[in-house]
Amino acid sequence: MMRSLLIIAAVACVALLLGAVLQPRGYAVRVVCLILLAASLGQCWNIVGGLANQVSLGHAAFFGIGAYTSTMLQIKFGLSPWAGLPIGMLFAALVSVLLSIPTMRLKGPYFSLATLAFGEACRIVATAATGLTGGPQGVSVPFAGNSWLLLQFRGAGAYVPVFVGLFVVVCVAFTLLANGRLGYMLRAIRENEDAAEVTGINTLGVRLAGGAISAALTAATGTMFAQFTFFIDPDIVFSATSISIRAALIAILGGVGTLAGPIVGALVIVPLEELLSAYLSNKAAGIAPLIFGLILIGIVVWRPSGLVSLVTQRRGRT
Amino acid sequence: MAALATLAASNAWSAEPVKIGILVPLSGPTAQFGNNIRNGVELALEDMKETGGLKALGADVELVYADVPAPNAAAAATQRLISQDGVVGIIGSFVSSITLAASEVTERAGVPMMTHSFADQITSRGYKFIFQVANKASLFGEKQLTYALDIAKRAGSPVSKIAILYEDTAYGTAQAKGLRDTANRLGIQIVVDESYPLNLTDASPLVNKLRASGADLVFPVSYFNDAILIIRTMRQQNLDIPTVGGAAGYIIPDFKKGLGDLVEGVYSIAPANYDALPAIAEKYKKKYGAFMPHEALMYGAAFQHMVKAIEVAQSRDPEKIRDAIAALRKCDGFSAGLPGGCTAFDANGLTSVAFPVFVQWRGDDIVTVYPPEVAKAPAYWRGKEVK
Repeated sequence: MMRSLLIIAAVACVALLLGAVLQPRGYAVRVVCLILLAASLGQCWNIVGGLANQVSLGHAAFFGIGAYTSTMLQIKFGLSPWAGLPIGMLFAALVSVLLSIPTMRLKGPYFSLATLAFGEACRIVATAATGLTGGPQGVSVPFAGNSWLLLQFRGAGAYVPVFVGLFVVVCVAFTLLANGRLGYMLRAIRENEDAAEVTGINTLGVRLAGGAISAALTAATGTMFAQFTFFIDPDIVFSATSISIRAALIAILGGVGTLAGPIVGALVIVPLEELLSAYLSNKAAGIAPLIFGLILIGIVVWRPSGLVSLVTQRRGRT
Repeated sequence: MAALATLAASNAWSAEPVKIGILVPLSGPTAQFGNNIRNGVELALEDMKETGGLKALGADVELVYADVPAPNAAAAATQRLISQDGVVGIIGSFVSSITLAASEVTERAGVPMMTHSFADQITSRGYKFIFQVANKASLFGEKQLTYALDIAKRAGSPVSKIAILYEDTAYGTAQAKGLRDTANRLGIQIVVDESYPLNLTDASPLVNKLRASGADLVFPVSYFNDAILIIRTMRQQNLDIPTVGGAAGYIIPDFKKGLGDLVEGVYSIAPANYDALPAIAEKYKKKYGAFMPHEALMYGAAFQHMVKAIEVAQSRDPEKIRDAIAALRKCDGFSAGLPGGCTAFDANGLTSVAFPVFVQWRGDDIVTVYPPEVAKAPAYWRGKEVK
């Protein structure tokens, strides 16, 4: 546990340092922010996907709820996103509990498919409920220049401390869960749900709690994303590929169920995407997604248990 | 690109080139529009060089592309263009949601961006650094109906019942709203008002509803694939009521490739058409093998407007260039091909001269048929020439 907290602190310090030295309105610091957001998103997913082995492909639902809750409260009632953030988290947690009622008995791919469908359903509802969400036109976060109160800044540099805060909260939550009572129970369920039930674990309660925490933190990440990009529409924040699957991908690539997994995953995926886009846009833009996909396939085939296994294996831990 | 490179190598002007970012989807589902824009901008640059338009600038112009297949990629790509590549202005991004996301960054960075995206919000946010060379989506919806009604009236077959089919995206819903509001205002009955999800697999239910409704006129607002499917299904069912497309997929060369002779006589609203600029359109066709789609023309015009503004400003300071773009009224080169004949902007950055036009398919070409002051040929309504 100590080691995990040290890793979190080290990553946070490096990010803060980069935020301090990099040109605050530049591109490099924006990439640092994107990595922090991606790592946080992956870590949120990791709480259920890693600890309980419930492969959710619908985390965009919670991400979108967070993004829309804070943004719509800001547009309609002038509420600061700092206040919208906890409301969105609560809302997402509630939705996650409600979702568990029909999905709690589902296992493996059935659970994944149900969550995937739920994410899509949220996208469709957000598209249709024009009065509530602004509909398919999307909504812009009202412009406020530089304002801590309204959590928005002209350059990406000022976001670094905020996103580091989010990252630390999510990672510490994961660590506490993984090493605490709830984590053991989640893992017991992962290994054998029936056996866990027999030993007296309230499997339903544990799953609900894990799911709700993951959903709430995902919503917080969604709020931060909206405050960072300033424009959201249902296709952006409820996207199956660029949010739901990406969240899982980040964790899987780095190493499912490990603290370092999503961090490593984000450190690989975000810079890779940016580099490919930067160098191929002028010449052969269509090739970038193909190369990106091939590299990901390569990594997963080479290291099925994630890039983190490179280090843990050398230490003789596996 | 090769021509550009050699030009840069044998550069007569000593100064560092001025960089302009082209932020468009070059991969993904809307890639073909992005590639058309690339063609248009490159031709616009060539055109300026040939007509001596770059000399006064005292430097060469370098195009820097950024591929943005989806809005999620827009912010980072925009930032990269601005702070890594040092562009002084940005042209893009066709898809409204990408333009909206990108312009949040350009506004905060204080770098001008020019677009032809239609979404109403683009210039309704009170932003200073975004310029829209096309009209708003709601106006397209409105004109689509009033133009069609007028042509029908002249043809002696007035319209009383219309049908609206639209995809449930930002673009589809905005145009449908414009259509609906105008129809209600004019007391035209809407007998079908149906949305459908993007990438429809079967249009027959929609077309059956359309047939049963007895509509005199149908407005399918759709991107490319759905446009093809709807028209084909209509024709297969021998439903030949006049059809007015909503720009996008209806006015690109591939529409003809996908449908063959079925396209004959289909109408569409359009932000501009190449027949207003025959010399350049001819050059485009020779170079790229198809007629010049509106996005190539419009982004070419936006690009030339920006280059001209840089020349007027005599500065690389994005803020000064922004002021020059806002003040400039440019009526030559590609700008002359836009309806209204110029590129110029009001206080919000919205075009102050452009208006939508009506085009109709004739063989391999689309011809401007309305409004009369810009029409190149008479319209045909139910096979009858409209005087």
